[in-house]
Amino acid sequence: MKDDKKLTLWERYLTQEIGIEFKACLYFFAFLFFYCCYRMLNGIFDASILHMTVLIFTCYFIGYIQVYLLWNFDEADSLGVREIFGMVICTALYCIVSWFGNWFDKRIVVTLVFAAYILLTYFCVFLIYRSKRRIDDKKLNEELRLFQTNHQKK
Amino acid sequence: MKIDIQKITDGEESVVVRYIERTPMINRIIGILENPENKLWGKTESGSVCADIADLLYLESVDDKLFAYTGDKVMRIEGTLNSFMMDMDDGSFFRCSKSMVINVNRVKALRSLSSNRIDATMEGGEHIIISRRYASDFRRLLKGER
Repeated sequence: MKDDKKLTLWERYLTQEIGIEFKACLYFFAFLFFYCCYRMLNGIFDASILHMTVLIFTCYFIGYIQVYLLWNFDEADSLGVREIFGMVICTALYCIVSWFGNWFDKRIVVTLVFAAYILLTYFCVFLIYRSKRRIDDKKLNEELRLFQTNHQKK
Repeated sequence: MKIDIQKITDGEESVVVRYIERTPMINRIIGILENPENKLWGKTESGSVCADIADLLYLESVDDKLFAYTGDKVMRIEGTLNSFMMDMDDGSFFRCSKSMVINVNRVKALRSLSSNRIDATMEGGEHIIISRRYASDFRRLLKGER
């Protein structure tokens, strides 16, 4: 008999896709902020539609790589060599696209600062997910104690 | 062993066990008489043993064989995880993966892991991972929504 409560393959796939969608939007806005700051510092007060389009596609593409190939490193339980390797690979990919897409006028220093910004963003996202899980731990353990108390009364 | 069965017409029903030494067989008889519904019988290397169901930490199915773990013993029991879950109706046991069932009353602590998995630390110190597939059901169980 099929259990309706269990996640189907389609639902699991959809959950994964929503995760990637969320990641793409998160990183898109973070990197767009950096890009806008760079433009404003150079006295330009509009953003290129082409650059933004390439950026969102890049975020999606790297989101897939992150989830399916690089162990979803920003949501990892701990930060190890594997996770740092994932961060560096994705940072390098963003920098290559930014270089050839001419986002920062092929300035090496700006590209390096962008790389540092990406790594910092990844690290912050990792910390946010970890904090979220710690809060969840407390909630889970409170519910567990309540469950056990109720069952002992029975 | 001499078996003396008497039919009575009134008074309280009783069973008297007289023994010289508490052999596994005697223990088994006493176990059945004491509280048959809360006992689980299984086999270990030393023979048949019984355990209180409340003392079970978790059950694991390995190669179509079912094993029950208490703090100090591992016993092989008859049946499958599905049949065990059907027999248990008090909601203390939870199917946490394809091959495992845990006793929620014997969980010491829970830890939220990435990909919506949960790490359950049992009273014996074992870490059991509640897979993503079963984690949302487990959360519902704790909240009393199941």
